This record gives sequence, structure tokens and C-alpha cells, in this order.
Amino acid sequence: MASTERPTRRSMGDRLYDAIFSNRVWRSIFRSGYPNTPRNQMLAVATNVFLHLHPTRIHRTHVKITHTFCLGGLSFFLFLGLTISGVLLMFYYVPSVERAYEDILRLDTDVRFGQLMRNMHRWMAHGMVLTVLMHMMRVFYTGAYKPPREFNWVIGVVLLVLTLLLSFTGYLLPWDQLALWAITVGTNMVGSAPLLGEPNRFVLVGGFQVGQNALIRFYTLHVIGLPLMAAVFMTVHFWRIRRDGGLAKPL
Amino acid sequence: MTTANPAEAQSAAVRGRARRQREEELLVWPDLVFIEFISAVVFTILLVGLSVTVDAILLDRANPAVTPNPSKAPWYFLNLQELLLHMHPALAGVVVPTIALIALGAIPYWDNDNEGQGEWLSGPKDWLNVWVGTAVASIGTLLLIFFDDGMHAKIYESLTGAKFPVSWLVNMREFQKNFPLWPTCTPEELAAKTCALGPLEWAKSIPLGKVVRTDLLGLPALDLNINIPAVLVEQIIPVTTMVGLPILLSLVAHRRGIAQTKREHMILQFSGFIAVYVTLTIVGTYFRGEGLALGPYTIFAHQ
Ligand code: HEM
Repeated sequence: MASTERPTRRSMGDRLYDAIFSNRVWRSIFRSGYPNTPRNQMLAVATNVFLHLHPTRIHRTHVKITHTFCLGGLSFFLFLGLTISGVLLMFYYVPSVERAYEDILRLDTDVRFGQLMRNMHRWMAHGMVLTVLMHMMRVFYTGAYKPPREFNWVIGVVLLVLTLLLSFTGYLLPWDQLALWAITVGTNMVGSAPLLGEPNRFVLVGGFQVGQNALIRFYTLHVIGLPLMAAVFMTVHFWRIRRDGGLAKPL
Repeated sequence: MTTANPAEAQSAAVRGRARRQREEELLVWPDLVFIEFISAVVFTILLVGLSVTVDAILLDRANPAVTPNPSKAPWYFLNLQELLLHMHPALAGVVVPTIALIALGAIPYWDNDNEGQGEWLSGPKDWLNVWVGTAVASIGTLLLIFFDDGMHAKIYESLTGAKFPVSWLVNMREFQKNFPLWPTCTPEELAAKTCALGPLEWAKSIPLGKVVRTDLLGLPALDLNINIPAVLVEQIIPVTTMVGLPILLSLVAHRRGIAQTKREHMILQFSGFIAVYVTLTIVGTYFRGEGLALGPYTIFAHQ
């Protein structure tokens, strides 16, 4: 009983704590107090829309870095980073064959932090392809695709394709020699398919060769079409992880 | 009344299991959220560091009139571009990647018992299969690339100083051109009867369009001349290789007792697939230079 007795004078720290975490503004935002008790910690996760992607508890082995190497999480982190840096790049970039290359040059030379933003976007894009591939390998080698997670693996394969397409469509946008010819080589591969190849290539490029039509198509896919699809599939991917009972664990 | 007892016993067991499971669990806040936060910070710092030191590449303005030599796709498609050098473009550019993706998505439906999940390579032979799959597939891929580059002929020539004796065995294109059963007539020469017919000369141009009369159905007439040597070299041999060698690998591994269960075969094949993907990507990125000839190359030579 003694432990529940209230101390006669509350310390400075306690009063500060109450002032910060029990006032009406904090409560209106977070509903629960600062997560320093198990109850508040669970509430913090369960009542926050972002943290709610997680369960409130997790199996011991799954927090070991060497179980996931954080690779799925890193892919998602890079996707978010790419969205932010991508939006900043959109402020300066106009997808026209007259302006695109000059805009990128200006970004590299005139715009404050422009080169940094472009570099970040580029390295994160390469990084995401790598982390997604490695995430797929970790899922495979931990046998995490087995029932009941079969379909989440399939969603993963769709995400892999979307990641590659996002990177591929972004590749054209700087409109330099590397961009033009890489996309020419890539879209010619599509064109070599039997029967439907050439019509498909024509639709993708918007003509017989990579030009303004291709640029605006790739740009639209890159900044809105594919990211939206990726976001939808990621939502399903994360939701399924929760529905399938968290990460796979040994039987 | 009597049925309530087993149910109660069962629910006690369930509760016991649930309790034991609870003990194995940690709270997401702080145990997981902390790790996520730290790795987000670490990777932000690493990425900023990288971006400050290494600039993204930007070559000259795009110019449709100037084709760079070599022209390469983005690095993650260079494996396909490498395949393109060895087989029919439709096969390399579309059919193989499509089938590879479908096969990848189908993995859980083949290997569908839930043995060995949730742990890194938990079976006793799992690691063995990773190494065997990786080694066989990467070495095999390199040997195939070297063969198609005529490496054996080059080595023979540099050792003996003489020309490689069997010209049609230098590489697949030579095979297509010089295999003794189909002498070297072009269709035009053949039409003009200016060159001798070989025993299989007819094989180079089978007018399928004259047999399959799509024009009778009101459709455009098929202009389809089947060239058997080309079909053999560009399609049948590559497909046989790509399908046959993995099957052979699994058969041998099964005989040798390396891979027995579905999971073990899956590990063998998946590791092989990754090894092929990586090998082709590295060769395509760093060892294909001008005219896509085999030799060291980096994009930075362009700048
Ligand atoms: C944009 C791409 C992707 C993102 C952002 C993503 C994200 C994630 C995250 C955050 C997890 C939680 C565990 C972890 O971090 O490893 C996860 C698990 C999983 N992912 Fe992905 N993933 C992506 C692509 C893929 C791919 C390509 C595959 C497979 C082909 C895949 C299959 C799975 C499966 C089966 C799980 C459950 C693993 C388990 O139960 O242990 N994902 N994913």
C-alpha cells in the first residue's frame, strides 16, 4: 500500500512532466501520455496512424538486426526519401526537350542545394533497387514466403517490378546522352516481343523514336502514375504482414 | 457437461501457449521503433555523405543523331542486354524476363510446406545448396559467355599460332553460318542458283506463309520465311540451355543427395538464378566495351 501513497511534495521533474505530457494540447494530439510505461507504450503504437503499421508487440527474434537487416524498412525509407527529394526537384524541372537538360544543368550549378538534391535522388534510386533485391533475397532465405505469406510474396514481386519501372522512367528525365540511349535500348527490347511488341513500344514511346512524347509519358509515369501504384501496393504489403500474423517465425 | 471438460483443458493449453508466446515478445515501442529510428538517422547521414562527395552523372545533351558506342540500358537491365547478344531479341528482351518474373512469383506455390520458415537457412543442407547453386550458375554463365565469344578458339590460336581448325565451333554465329550441313548461300544466291545447294539448303527458307494461308481468311498474308539454322541458334539452343541446365543441376544434386526436399531444390535454383542475374549484370556493366565486345569498360571513360 505504501507504494501507492502520494508523496507529500512532487518533485520539479514530475511537475514538468505533467506540464508537458498531461496538458490539453498534448492530450488532444496524442491521447496517451509519454510512452514510459508499458501501457502508454502500447497505446502510443496503437493510437498513432503511422506507428499503427506495427503491431504493439513483436517476437524477440524479429528485432534482431540480422533477421531482416532492416531491408524492407530501408526500401520504404528510401521510397519516402525519393518522394521528398523528387518533389523538390519538380520545382525546377520542366519535362520538355528544349528545357529538361538545361534545367538539370541549372539545378547542378545555380540552385542552392540543387546538386545535393539531385545527387540524393539519384543515389537513393540506385539504393532502392538494391535494397528491394536484397530484401527479396532475405525473405527467400528465411523461408518467409511460405504459407500463409504466399500472396504477400507475389505482391512483393509486383513491387519489385514497380521499383524497376520507377527507376527506368526516371532515367530518361535528365535528357542527356546517357538517358536518351539507355531508354532507346530499353524500349527497343520491348519492341522485339512477338506480335504485340512493336505496338507496345509505340505506345510507351509515343512515336517511332524517343522524343518529346516519350519524355512527357515517362515524366507522368515517374512522378504520379507509378508512385501511386507503388504506394497502393506497399499499403497492401504492410497490411498483409499484419494480417498474416507479423513476420514469419519458426513453427 | 462431459464435453465441457476437454474444451476447458484445451483452452487452458491455448492460454498456456499464448502466455509462453507473450514471454517471447517485446514491445514495439521502444524495442523496434528505436532500431528504426537509429537506422533512418544512420542512412540519412550516409546518403548525405555520399551525395556531398559523389555527383550524379550528366553527359552531353541528348542528341538523336549521335549514337554512343556502346549504348547501354540502365545497369539493372544490362543482364537482359547481355542475353540479347546470345539469342533472339524477343527471347532475351521479353520472353525470358516475363517467364522469370512469373516463376519468381510462383515460388511459394511450388514450395508450399511451411517447414523451415522464419529462420535463416535452417535446414542442414541449406547453405550447401546456396554455395553449389551460386558456384555452378556463375561459373556456368561465364563459360557460356566465353564460348560464345570464341575464347577457346582465341586461346588455341595464341597457343599454336594456327587458325582454330573447326570454324563452325568458334561461336554460335559461326555455327549458324558455317555448319557443314547448310552451305553458305544467301537467299538471293539461292534464287539465282549461283551457289551450290547443300543437303539442308532448303532449311534456310521455308515459306510458311505459303502454307498457312491467312489471306484466305481475309487477313494480311503472312510473310514468314522460317530459317531453320537461325531458329536453331537464336531460339532452340538458348531455350534448351536455359531450361535444360537448371533441370540438369537439380537432377544431379538430387542424385548426389545435395538437394532432396522441395525447399532444398528451391534454394539451389534461386541461388543459381541470383548468381546468373548478378554475373550477367557485372559482365554487361563492366566487361562490354565498344560494339559490345568483351573487354573491360566503365561509363566514366565517357566523361
Ligand atoms: C518497394 C518494395 C518493398 C517494400 C517497401 C517492402 C517492405 C517490407 C517491409 C517493411 C517488411 C517487413 C519486414 C522486413 O523489413 O523485412 C516486408 C516483409 C515482407 N516482404 Fe517486402 N517490401 C518490398 C518488396 C518486396 C519484394 C520484392 C518481395 C518478394 C518478392 C517482398 C516480400 C515480402 C514478404 C514475403 C514479407 C514478409 C516477411 C516475413 O514474414 O518475414 N517484399 N516488406
